[in-house]
Amino acid sequence: MGKPTDLVQGTLDLLILRTIALEPMHGWGIAQRIQFVSKNALQVRQGALYPALHRLEQQGWIRAEWGDSDNHRRAKFYSLTRAGRKYLEKEQANWERLSSAIGLVLDAAQS
Amino acid sequence: MRWFDKLSFWLRSLFHRRSADAELDSELDFHLQREIAAKVSAGMPPAEARQSTMREFGGVEELKEECRDTRRTNYIHDFGQDVRYALRVLRKSPAFSAIIILTLALGIGANTAIFSLVDSLLLRPLPAKDPSQLTVLAFRQGHGPLLTQFSAADLRDIRSQASGAFSDMLGHMLAFDGISLNGKADRAFSEYVTGNFFTLLGMKPYAGRFFLPSEGQASGADPITVLSYGYWKSRFAGDPNIIGQRILVNAHPCTVVGIAPPEFHGLYPAPASQLYFPFGMLGTFEAGWPKDLMSNRILQNLYVLGRLRPGVGLTAAQAALNIVAQRLSEQYPETNKGMTLSVYAERFARPDPSTSSTLIKAAALFLALVGLVLLLACANIANLLLVRSTGRAREMAVRAALGAARNRLVRQLLTESILLALFGGAAGLFLGMLASRGIGSIDLHTPVPISLVYGFDWRIFVYTFAAALLTGVFVGLIPALRASRTSISVTLHESGRAIAGGKNRVRTGLVILQVAGSLMLLVIAGLFTRSLGAVQHTNLGFDPHNVVDLATDPSEIGYGETQGLAFYESLLDRVRALPGVQSASVTSSVPMSNYGNNDYLKISDYQNPPGQGLPLVDYGVVSPQYFNTMRIPILRGRSFTEADQKGAPYVAVVSQAFAGRYWPNQDPIGKRFAKVSGVTNPVYEVVGVAKDCHFTFVTGPIEPYFYLPLGQDYALSSLQILQIRSTAPPDIVIRETQDVVRSLAPDLPLFDIHTMTESLDTLQGFLLFRLAAGLAAALGLLGLILAIVGVYGVISYSVSQRTHEIGIRMALGAQRAEVLKMIFGQGFVIVAAGLVLGCLSAFAAARLISNMLVGVSAADPATYSAVTLILALVALLACYIPARRAMKVDPMVALRYE
Repeated sequence: MGKPTDLVQGTLDLLILRTIALEPMHGWGIAQRIQFVSKNALQVRQGALYPALHRLEQQGWIRAEWGDSDNHRRAKFYSLTRAGRKYLEKEQANWERLSSAIGLVLDAAQS
Repeated sequence: MRWFDKLSFWLRSLFHRRSADAELDSELDFHLQREIAAKVSAGMPPAEARQSTMREFGGVEELKEECRDTRRTNYIHDFGQDVRYALRVLRKSPAFSAIIILTLALGIGANTAIFSLVDSLLLRPLPAKDPSQLTVLAFRQGHGPLLTQFSAADLRDIRSQASGAFSDMLGHMLAFDGISLNGKADRAFSEYVTGNFFTLLGMKPYAGRFFLPSEGQASGADPITVLSYGYWKSRFAGDPNIIGQRILVNAHPCTVVGIAPPEFHGLYPAPASQLYFPFGMLGTFEAGWPKDLMSNRILQNLYVLGRLRPGVGLTAAQAALNIVAQRLSEQYPETNKGMTLSVYAERFARPDPSTSSTLIKAAALFLALVGLVLLLACANIANLLLVRSTGRAREMAVRAALGAARNRLVRQLLTESILLALFGGAAGLFLGMLASRGIGSIDLHTPVPISLVYGFDWRIFVYTFAAALLTGVFVGLIPALRASRTSISVTLHESGRAIAGGKNRVRTGLVILQVAGSLMLLVIAGLFTRSLGAVQHTNLGFDPHNVVDLATDPSEIGYGETQGLAFYESLLDRVRALPGVQSASVTSSVPMSNYGNNDYLKISDYQNPPGQGLPLVDYGVVSPQYFNTMRIPILRGRSFTEADQKGAPYVAVVSQAFAGRYWPNQDPIGKRFAKVSGVTNPVYEVVGVAKDCHFTFVTGPIEPYFYLPLGQDYALSSLQILQIRSTAPPDIVIRETQDVVRSLAPDLPLFDIHTMTESLDTLQGFLLFRLAAGLAAALGLLGLILAIVGVYGVISYSVSQRTHEIGIRMALGAQRAEVLKMIFGQGFVIVAAGLVLGCLSAFAAARLISNMLVGVSAADPATYSAVTLILALVALLACYIPARRAMKVDPMVALRYE
């Protein structure tokens, strides 16, 4: 396993949306989850996370609420809005189409 | 709901910026603490955990700014910051700010004043429903002039036959009647209107009711009136019980049925109608109208306003009218032969279709002139701001060095100049209101006071605001761009002594343009003033000096013809006996006034050109001695005598132009003609020819005119103006005459009391020329002041910048005279360049207005040289003051400076 891959601009949004689709999460949790699920292949640069979250909130895809975290500190939890959920479905479909297309090209080149 | 989420997010970050910032802080803090805690629990020592976390996280402040930017509210916060900062800067240099605001106030105030005049004359729509559907109708008879007054019968036919294009059509005519209530009589502008007048306009009465479309059709059937709101307030003290009361109109009873809404001043741009009567009452209230008023196609009194059907354009309406005109001229060849109709949008037909283009041109001219004044003011302010931006170069450089983006600096400076401009605009609005009230209170010498300006409306505010905003951007942009372009390191390393060079080029250019612009304004003012002088020295054909005019109308107190004639006879006898009186007479018409009679004539030995209607000629009904009082020479035949009474043969005196046009190269004495629209239309025999006079306009060609003796034609005009030529002072003559009238007929009101020279100062007389000359002169003066300030400013700034240099020169032995010459020379070049440019542009501009000038050419050398000389002298004087200061520079002080 080499270096953790840098996230392409735009894919971070998709990852965030996918991650909080299951349950509301705070920023640190989102970063941890992405890292964990991707088996450390994807490492979110901590700083880059917050402008992305604020941008998504500004666009109305996600909303933020203050709540108690597991260590009893107040934290800001992000969850998907209905529009955000639709947007995620669309983007995910796009991504799958794109990656399978790239996969096809790469396979064809090998054989 | 996405937009709602977005909006609430935006609003929260806008209005709860502090708490949003605090939230961001604690959100990031939470993250850091969690990360540190995670690292510690993984076995890292706390201090190291903290350090590595901070390292991984990156710049916290930078991140926060990035998050704030995503909220997109920064612009607004920055703007608020800019405004606060700008206010602080303006407060810090109050004198500087005050000068700019004052200059702008003058420029914008002048614009507001002129615009308010244009607005109320041309732009403001009538306070009617859907004013864009309103049109004005006019017609021509053959190749005759464009006429705007229709006969009641023609209006009726056109209305019913063109109903495909017009949903309705109304007629109205302005008159002037004696109104009395409880024995107190006065004169009022009244409007005789068709019954559908108010219905077509779509107005609601303020109180009572309006006329019904059925009213006003039959002669004498509806003795009712609607009062204007203003007249109700002033004449009847706003008495709410006036509805249903009876007033006397020229001694005929009439019932008040309603009051018009306050915003309605009638259909004329300037005179405000005070009462409305059904048109059918005209023959009842006023003497001298024939019985067939409603059916006679020769009697053309009604201005016609049509309302287009929705979706019908002017072209379609014109097409419909063409068919109607064709039909009418075939149906009534006697009166309507060769008739053509035309239709105009109401807004572009003020005051009437034949003269509206002149009004629009004059309005455009004055808006352009006053715009030029604002430009001159802008140049001054741009200059001042440029000076200051040089002074603030360090401040800008420091801010740029601290990381302010260039567009941020430009925005800051623009905010300052726009703020200044808005303050100037507010002050200008105030000045403009004062000036426009001044214009509004100009005495137009109409029988009742009328005003050119009816208060302010939103258009004026929008105009002023837009002017101020544009000015702010305009004056701020160059200095702002220039200031923001300064190189940081050069400015910060500079000692603070400015190197003037390049910056002065823009400023010098601006001043040259100012001198040129002000010369242009002054030339136009000069041309209008010369024009006024030429008009005032026109030989009018009569002698207006030492004559007083007093108008009266005995029918107002119920006098019939016999009583009226007897009254005038004893009045004239008594007045002639007053000390100093040389002669006294009465006439139905004073030159350049609103009174006057005209009629179509059938003239013997004169063949009407084919395709043209009968000639329409103005006339006056006068007493014997009239020609003596006016000093109008009788060239042939005789004047009127006491013998020209009822029963004697009908006689007339015609003007030279009358005789020349209808009986060229023939002896006019003994020729005959008849009017066509009187109650009786006797044949008049010409007994004399009078010298031509300017009766209707002070300029232009003299039209035919004729005179009838009062003894025979009292019925044509019981309203008479008493004219007294006396060596006594006018106020004494007036007082004594009033005493005479009071002793003869105590209740009879006298009105329109003026010296004759005053009474020539009407819209038809000198007033327009005086207004044009006065306005142009005021603008010219304003331009002159601004240009002088500009010249003075640029020279004295350059002296202050060059103090050091002058000090060195003098220390090296330069003489004071040489220093003076150097500074003066700089000013001379600027002024000379401005004057040359100004003369060229003034010449171009003057050619555009040449048809508004009378008796003076657009290239009048006297005007150009006088104005150039004055401007040159004053401008050089403005250079002299700073030049003298330069001369007095003490080399020691100058070199030690800094």
